[in-house]
Amino acid sequence: MKRRALLGGSLGAVGALGAGALGAGALGAVGLAGCGSDRGPALWFSYGGKNREALLALVERHNRERPEAAIHAVFQGDYFELLAKLRTAIHAGAPPALTHVVGEVLPYLAAADVLEPLEPLVDEASRGGFIPALSQSGAFDAPASTPTYGIPFNRSTPIAYLNRQILEELGASSPKTWDELRALAAKASRGAAGDKRYGFACPIDWWMWVAMVGQAGGELLEGDTFTLGGDAGLRALQLWKDMAAAGHMMLPAGRDYNAWTVTNTEFLAGRVAMIWSSTAFVRYLEENAKFPVVAAPLPKDARFAVPTGGTFFVAPKGAPPEHRVATASFLEFMSRADTSNEFATKTGYIPATKAGIAELEHAGFYASHPNDRVAVEQLDAVQRWPWHRNLFRIQREIVQSRLESAVLGGADARASLDDARRAAREEL
Amino acid sequence: MRPKHAIHPYLLLAPTIAILALFFIYPLFVAMDDSLYRWDLLTEPRYAGLSNYRELAASGALSGVIGRTLGFAVVVVSGSCSLGLGLALLLNRPGRIYGAVRGAVFSAYVVSWVAVALLWMWILDADSGVVTRVFRALHIPTARWLADPDTALWAIAFVTIWKITGYAMVVFLAGLQSIPRSLHEAAALDGAGRLARFRFITWPTLRPTTAFVATTSLIMSFQAFDVVRVMTQGGPVKSTTLFVYAIYEEVFVTFRVGRASALVVVFFGILIVLTLLNLWALSISRRQRKVAA
Amino acid sequence: MSTLDRPTPVGRALRGVGLVVIAFAWVAPYAWMTLTSFKSTRDIVDAPAWPIPSSFRTDAYEEVFRTVPVGRYLLTTLVMAFSIAALQIALALPAGYALAKLRFRGKKVAFLLVLACMLIPPQVTFVPVFSLLGPVGLVNTMGALVVPFAVSALGTFLVRQALLSIPDEIIEAARLDGASELRIVYGILGPLLRPTLAAMFLFSFVYHYSDYFWPLVMTTDDHVRTLPVAIALLREQGTGVRWHVVMAGNVVLSMPILAVFALAQRQIVRAVAGTRT
Repeated sequence: MKRRALLGGSLGAVGALGAGALGAGALGAVGLAGCGSDRGPALWFSYGGKNREALLALVERHNRERPEAAIHAVFQGDYFELLAKLRTAIHAGAPPALTHVVGEVLPYLAAADVLEPLEPLVDEASRGGFIPALSQSGAFDAPASTPTYGIPFNRSTPIAYLNRQILEELGASSPKTWDELRALAAKASRGAAGDKRYGFACPIDWWMWVAMVGQAGGELLEGDTFTLGGDAGLRALQLWKDMAAAGHMMLPAGRDYNAWTVTNTEFLAGRVAMIWSSTAFVRYLEENAKFPVVAAPLPKDARFAVPTGGTFFVAPKGAPPEHRVATASFLEFMSRADTSNEFATKTGYIPATKAGIAELEHAGFYASHPNDRVAVEQLDAVQRWPWHRNLFRIQREIVQSRLESAVLGGADARASLDDARRAAREEL
Repeated sequence: MRPKHAIHPYLLLAPTIAILALFFIYPLFVAMDDSLYRWDLLTEPRYAGLSNYRELAASGALSGVIGRTLGFAVVVVSGSCSLGLGLALLLNRPGRIYGAVRGAVFSAYVVSWVAVALLWMWILDADSGVVTRVFRALHIPTARWLADPDTALWAIAFVTIWKITGYAMVVFLAGLQSIPRSLHEAAALDGAGRLARFRFITWPTLRPTTAFVATTSLIMSFQAFDVVRVMTQGGPVKSTTLFVYAIYEEVFVTFRVGRASALVVVFFGILIVLTLLNLWALSISRRQRKVAA
Repeated sequence: MSTLDRPTPVGRALRGVGLVVIAFAWVAPYAWMTLTSFKSTRDIVDAPAWPIPSSFRTDAYEEVFRTVPVGRYLLTTLVMAFSIAALQIALALPAGYALAKLRFRGKKVAFLLVLACMLIPPQVTFVPVFSLLGPVGLVNTMGALVVPFAVSALGTFLVRQALLSIPDEIIEAARLDGASELRIVYGILGPLLRPTLAAMFLFSFVYHYSDYFWPLVMTTDDHVRTLPVAIALLREQGTGVRWHVVMAGNVVLSMPILAVFALAQRQIVRAVAGTRT
C-alpha cells in the first residue's frame, strides 16, 4: 500500500517535473539572448565570459540592422570541441552557415575542400581593409593563387605580462633578450615550495614554442620537410627546461586551455612575476589584478618573432544556399572598422582593420590603454605559418605532447625533437 | 511453454534484436572494417591494411592505454567493492539515520557524471580547491592532484570510487538481507563470534554477489569516459587517457577514424576476454562448492 | 534476538564515529557545491576555500539562467530520458516474455546476444552510427538520442527474471480466452509486473538523464541539446574558471535527479540490486 503510494508519487513527480520544465522552457525561450529560428543560419562560436558577451552583442546589433539576414549564435564549447563538432557536422551533411576556426587548421580544411572561398561573399575592399599580418595572406606562406578561405575574427599574438610592483621592487625592466629573460626570472624568484614566487611562467604550448623557434632564427618547414626549427627548436625547448630546472619557471600543467588558465591565475595571485600569454587576456588581467600590469613584447634571441593566433571566420561547404545571405551579411558586418574595434577593445584581441587601428589611435585609445598597443606594435615581427595541410597535426599530434613530456615529464630535449621529426616524416 | 504460433517468439524479439543489430552489432563490424583504413571523416578513406594496429603497438600508445586502463580498473574495482562491502556490513541496520546515510552514499551513484566531475574538479583544484587549502593550512604536503601527471589518474580513480561505491553497497546489502537471521542466531548459540559468523555464513553466501559486483564494476570502470572528458581531457601528458577516451580522442581531436576503429576492436576483444575469464572463474567456484557440499 | 548484538559502549562509539565519517564523506561535497553556488566572484577569488559566503548571492544562478536556456535544455533532457525509459519497457516486455516463457530455436543465441551488447559502450559505436544517421538527416534529432538506447539488456533480464516466477497457468488461461500474445504481454503480464517495471523505468530515466557522451557527439543544434552537455560547457577557457557559476549550474543540473531519487529511492535500489545472480 505504502509502496504503491510511493510509486505513484515518484511517477507523479516525474510528470510534475516535466510540466514544470515546460513552463520554465516557455519562460526561458522568452528570455533567450537574441536567437533566430532554430533551423535558420547559425554561427557556431566557442567563447565564454567577456568574449562571448562581446560577440553576442555584435550578433544582436547585426540582426537589428539587417533583420532579413539574421543569424543566430550557438555556443559549442572551446576551440577544439567546436572543431570536432564541425568535422562531424560536415561529414553528416549538416554544417553551420558560419563558424570560426583556429588558424593552424585552415590549410587542412582548405585542402579537404570543405570551405567556401570567400571572394564571392566579401568584397575586395573589405578584404583589403584588414591588417596584412592578421589576414590569411599575411599570416600564411601560401601560394598567391590560394583563394581566401578565412576572414580574420579574433586575432592575437603572444605577449609578455609583468607585475609592475615586483619590477619596481627589483628595479628591473621587461627583458628584451633571452639572456635578460633568464636573468629576470632568476632575480624575481624567491622562497621555497609551498610559499614560492616564480620569476616566470608560460603555458607549455606549441604556440609559445613556435614563437621561440622564430626568435632563435629557425623555420618550422623547409621545402617539404618539417624540420621543426632544427637547432633553433632545440634552443627553444632547452630554454624552458633550463629555467624550470633552476626553479625560476613555474610549470602549469593541464591540457589545452587549462594551462593558460593556470598561468593567468598564478600571475593574478602574485605568485609569478612575469608570464607569457595571449594579448587576448589583456583586459581580463588588467581588470582582475590587484597590482598594475605591464604588457611587453616577447624578447629576441637572434631576432624578434611571434606567430599569430586566434581564429578566422569560415563558411563551411554544404550549408543551405538560402543561408548565404546571412553569411555574407555578417562577414561584411564584421569587416567594418567599428565592429572589429568594438570586439577588440572589449576583449583585448587585436583590432583587425587598418582603418580601425587608425581610428583608435586618433581617439586616444592607445594613449589610455598602452598595454593594448604592445600587440599592435609587435605585428612587425610576425612570422608566417607554413600553408601546409598537416600543420595542425604537427601541432597536436607530433609536437605538443613531446613538448609536454620534455618539459613536464623530464624527457631529453634533443631526443624529443628528433623523435618529433621522425614522426613527422613517417606518419605524414 | 510452447508458443501459440512458431513465429511468435521471433516476432516478440524482433524489435529488440533489430535495435541491437543496427546500433551495436553492425557498428562493431563497420569499426572492424574501418580499422583497415586511414580516414579523417572529411576526405576519402585510404586502404592501410593492418598498419593502424602496427602503429598503435609500435608507438607504445596501445600498451600505455591498456596498462593505464587495467591499473585504473583494478584500483577502482577493489576499492569500491571492499568499501561497498564494508559499508553494507556497517549500515545493515534499521532506523532512519542508517537509512539516510545509505541514501547519501547511493545518491552519488545516481547523480550524473558531469555533476560529480565538475564538483570534484572544484574541490581538488590545485590552487583554490578546499582540499589544497586545508592541506596547506595544516602544513600537510599537498600535490597538484589533477594537474600532476603522477597523481591525476589516482585522483580520477578516487572520484570514480566515490561515485560507484554506492552501487556495490546496495547490491551487497541485498545479498546480506537474503541471509536468514535464524542462521546467524543458530551460529551465535553455538558460540560463534562475529568474525566466525562472517567467515562461515556471510562470506560464502556473498561470494557470487561479490563476483557479480566485481564484474559489473570492472565493466563500468573500463567504460569510464565522462569523468576524464570533463576533468582532465586525458592529460596531463596523457596520464589519464583511458581506453574509451583514447577512442574519442582519435576521432575528435586527431581525426584518425581508422586508428580509433582499431582501438575499438582491441577494446571489444579485451572486454570479451574479461567476461570469459569471469564466467570461467564463476564456474570453477561453483564446481568447488558442489564438491565441498 | 538478543544473543546476536550486544553493543558495547566502545562498539557503539566506533559505530557512531563511522556513521559521521561516512555521512560527511558523501554529503559534504554536495554541501560544498551548494554553498559555493551562493558566493560572489569576489569570494571565489579571495577566499575560495572558506565554506561560508560573505553574503549569500544569487548572481551565479542569474548568470546561469541568463547564458544557458535551462528550461529548454531541461525539457529536452526530460523528454529524452522519459522516451528512452518508456521505449525500453515497451521492448523489454515482449523480449523478456519470449526468453522466459517460450520454447524456440535460437533462444540461447538471443540470450547471449543481448548479454554481449551490454558490454559495448556507446563510444565504441558512435562513428558508424553517425555515418548511418548522417546521410538520412537524422543526426541532431531526438530520435538519434533515443532510439539507439531503446533496448535495455538489464531491463530485459529483469523482466525475464520476474516473469519466471509467474505461473504458466495465467498465460494458458488467457490464451484459452482468446487473448492474442500481444494482449497477454502488455495487458496481463505488464500490469502484473508493475513494481518491476516502475523500478526499471525510474532507474533508466535517472540513468539516461545524465547521458553525456552520446548527446555530446550526436547533437550540435541548440534545439536538441541536453542539460548535462550545456552545464559541462560552463567550464571556460583562459579567463579563470568561475566556480560559483559552474557550481550553480551543477546544482540546477542535479536538483531534478536528486528530487526523483528522494521520492523513489527504494524503486531505484530495487532495480539496481534486482539482477544480482
